[in-house]
Amino acid sequence: MGRDIRHYSAYMLFLLVILEGLLYAAIHWWPAFAENMGAMKALASPMPILSDQMNLIDKLGAPAYVVGQHYFKGCNILGSTAAVLFAANAIAGEAHRGTLEVWLARPVSRLRLYTERYVMGLLAMALPVLITSLTIPRLMESVGASMNYDDLWRCSLHQSLFLATIFSTTFALSAMGSQPLKISFVMLFFCIAQFAIYMVKTITDYSIFRWSDIKTYAAIVGTDTLSVSRLAILAGICVLTYGAGLFAFLRRNP
Amino acid sequence: MQPSTTAPPAPLVSAASPTASEPPPGGIRARALAKSFGPQQALQPLDLEIAAGSLVGLIGPNGSGKSTLMRCLVGLCRADQGDIWIDGQPLRGDGAAIRHRLTYAPGEMGVYRETRGRAHLDWFLRGRPAAARRKAREIAEHLGLPLHKRVGQYSHGMKRQLVFAAAMAPKVPIRILDEITEGLDPSKRTQIIEVLRADAQEGTTILLSSHHFGEVDRVCERILFLQEGRILEDTRASAVRDRAERLLRLVWDDPLAARAFERGLDPTQFARARREEGSGELVLELHQPDPRPVLAHLPSALSAPREVHFGAATLQDLYRDLYGVEGT
Repeated sequence: MGRDIRHYSAYMLFLLVILEGLLYAAIHWWPAFAENMGAMKALASPMPILSDQMNLIDKLGAPAYVVGQHYFKGCNILGSTAAVLFAANAIAGEAHRGTLEVWLARPVSRLRLYTERYVMGLLAMALPVLITSLTIPRLMESVGASMNYDDLWRCSLHQSLFLATIFSTTFALSAMGSQPLKISFVMLFFCIAQFAIYMVKTITDYSIFRWSDIKTYAAIVGTDTLSVSRLAILAGICVLTYGAGLFAFLRRNP
Repeated sequence: MQPSTTAPPAPLVSAASPTASEPPPGGIRARALAKSFGPQQALQPLDLEIAAGSLVGLIGPNGSGKSTLMRCLVGLCRADQGDIWIDGQPLRGDGAAIRHRLTYAPGEMGVYRETRGRAHLDWFLRGRPAAARRKAREIAEHLGLPLHKRVGQYSHGMKRQLVFAAAMAPKVPIRILDEITEGLDPSKRTQIIEVLRADAQEGTTILLSSHHFGEVDRVCERILFLQEGRILEDTRASAVRDRAERLLRLVWDDPLAARAFERGLDPTQFARARREEGSGELVLELHQPDPRPVLAHLPSALSAPREVHFGAATLQDLYRDLYGVEGT
């Protein structure tokens, strides 16, 4: 377990540093909204989806910009990539390396091995989202803007659960397969395709990123509430994929 | 070419027969154990009984089911049917409870190359008491392993020794070791065999699989020979040695002469015969330690054999000659 803790801590630290770096850059080079909004809208006008987002930022101001930068851009892109990479290697990586048999041969139950790795991977992915979110108010002070911790806590919970569905699905595939690279490619292709679908207005509603876009987070900030039904569906997907992966893991031969 | 045999390939000593007795504490019992991978039947339904404190060798060619049998016994592979008892306890679920009562060294193994030897030993021994980790380091140091180095710098044989040290360290009644000496040089192999012998003398049950017939012959008191997923023979090592010493090999240049000689023999004079179709080599396992009654037929053969060997066969020769199985 100590080896796993060291590995996932390193992954977590890596993701944390990159997310914080992107966040710092987004706030440090704070756009002068009053002067530039017109130009930014004109720039986004060829793509209706971007144009909608600019309108939202124009309407809601700094919080919409920050959640767009941090959650929609940083966490969605880097977080989903991290979720795929952390999970794909978790079990399939052991099979690929040839360590699966010795890993399983120890007197530790498979349920425990599976759950430990699942939880560690999940924390390595979710904690950077939460920690970086909590640095936002302090960073925003430097540009004379503000956001409260409660909103950010709710946004990061939603974002983490959204990423957890990607993590959990990839983890289930990892429990069934032996080729982490192939699993990573499949899931990354899926995420990129979903992002591409999101960017096309006529089919945007078919993208999973509709559940993690600026509108979603702006609504959380604007209403001070989380959508319980959405959270329940996201949690349900995690539970189902966790169960499917565990079912396969308990039956797999080394 | 298909070998021709004049005696049925039934085991000389039968495999363990099912009994209604309690499963042996400190031993291994399997009943009607079967496992298949898709259409391939890896283990035919088989029974196995290993008494506490025995040192048993499991031999057989590649793909004979040795590793599958061992994996089933330690709960890593789910058998399609059958029951297993380890140290008197039935195997249930994923076998985690059973694995507290045994250690297992897999035949095919990978390592975390970036991890140092000492840390890797600790990782192998997760779920074991601290004393096992100390003992493992002692064994590893005794074998001369540089535990401060990363395992990626180890040779294949050193990695094997690391797994061996981990498998021998915990105080458990049973050890199941798959090809543990594979890839080791003769001196290390001897060292490992000595450690195994000492462990067996303390009452540990050891099931050892190997391709090295000579090694199994030297160290084990009982031998299980597995072929195509079934136990072909279950016999004492001394009986196998005795059989090997009663092996008569005759080689003719003319395959017809070998065939004619075989046909002219009295079937009561030998237990088993093997001759490849189209080959001039005939191998006979005699009932008697004296080959003269069989050799007395030679004058009536079509021609004189080019070679005659008797009494010098090894265990390896026995299996190669009678079953066409190669070993080292």
